[in-house]
Amino acid sequence: MSQDKPDIKEILVTVKELLEGIAKQSKGSERYEALCGAFLLSVVDRELDFGARQDESQSGELQQLLGREGSLSDLYQQFCQQVRGGELDDQWPAAFDFAFKQVVDKVSVTNPKYLAEMHRSD
Amino acid sequence: MAAVSEQQALLDDIVAKLELALQRRYGQAARVENVSIATLGASNRTLLFDLVEPTGRRRLVLRQETLKSEVSPFISPHDQFEILKVVYRHGVLVPEPIFELEPEDDLDVGYVMSCVEGETLPKTLLNAPEFAVARKRFTAQTGEIFAKLHAIDPGEVGFLEKVVDSVDPLAAQISRYDAYCEYHPGLDVGIRWLENNRPQDKPRVFVHGDYRNGNVILSPDGIEAVLDWECAHIGSAMEDFGWVCLRAWRFGNIDQPVGGFGPRDEFYQAYTSNGGQAIDEEEIRWWEIFGSLRWAVLNMMQADGHITGVRRSLPFACCGRNTSMIEYDMLMTIKGHFS
Repeated sequence: MSQDKPDIKEILVTVKELLEGIAKQSKGSERYEALCGAFLLSVVDRELDFGARQDESQSGELQQLLGREGSLSDLYQQFCQQVRGGELDDQWPAAFDFAFKQVVDKVSVTNPKYLAEMHRSD
Repeated sequence: MAAVSEQQALLDDIVAKLELALQRRYGQAARVENVSIATLGASNRTLLFDLVEPTGRRRLVLRQETLKSEVSPFISPHDQFEILKVVYRHGVLVPEPIFELEPEDDLDVGYVMSCVEGETLPKTLLNAPEFAVARKRFTAQTGEIFAKLHAIDPGEVGFLEKVVDSVDPLAAQISRYDAYCEYHPGLDVGIRWLENNRPQDKPRVFVHGDYRNGNVILSPDGIEAVLDWECAHIGSAMEDFGWVCLRAWRFGNIDQPVGGFGPRDEFYQAYTSNGGQAIDEEEIRWWEIFGSLRWAVLNMMQADGHITGVRRSLPFACCGRNTSMIEYDMLMTIKGHFS
């Protein structure tokens, strides 16, 4: 760790608490915007925790499914184009499962409480 | 606080021009009073005001278009105004259309309509004690409104045939999605499912296109007015059913599919007993899955407004990340876990 304390997590929590404090004391659009800001920082917090691991795991699955290498965004593009064009119809369950896993990963970062019991990791 | 004074200056300018617009139509004595902002919103700006004349006072609403994008999914304010006139004539509960803005008003494009008193905030409607009666009535009233709306001869709104959503609603959503150059595996799997399970053609009717909890004004007695006609088009009646039942519009009351208010069977019964066509539940499910695609793309649109700087806003930034939850609803519905 090349940086001095506080670390990223501590900085995030501090600013998030500030925004939550502002939300408590305000009304209307100011309250709403402060809550949105606090929410986005909680997203950043979870993305720092899970993001890299999710990307790596999805990359591996996509490379296997598509039979090619590439950056994750290239692989997403390939996947989407092939699904759209029907080229993965004969591997539909695997294609669906990958998309489902990718979506569950995203919701785990955005708002894990939104997930049904069967997809919660906590 | 520069933003606040800028907003005030904008408001002052609009009010001054509005007063001139009213004087052109109602005489020099016309005045604007009691202005309040309903939304300075994503796609439109809505101001409430009193038109004061020597003969009396009337509460009205000015609605102006603010989203000017080539991929706008909304019909023009002119067409919205034409629709209001048609549905008002047919006795559908809507604000009375008053006049359309003209170039010499220098107020962009939009129109003025009557102000209907009531509440539109979804969570207030679903929870506040004073709306208990309205909540019980919502489902059956919506069935009646749909029956009346879908019975209107689509020839009366023939100008809607040119709307891309009238031609091929799925293709319309796909082209909007593609405009953002983002790749969402969940959405493409959903699109493929929708393509492979397209419903059979149904009689083409006039659909509202955005009827949901949040776009309807309720008083404690029930529905007072249906708002937001900017997504109206010609299509299958089942599309309106799918949209109002979308999970996102239940606002947490997930076991009450009709906008969080009530059950499906009561809704369908009210529709058919008021002359509506036969209900096709499988097709409604298709439209709910389609609705998730559409709602996800609308959230991408909001996020794009933030990212490109056209409409910087923290809530719009959140919309981009909310897309994941809508995709989750879509795939869980396809899998049969959600209904």
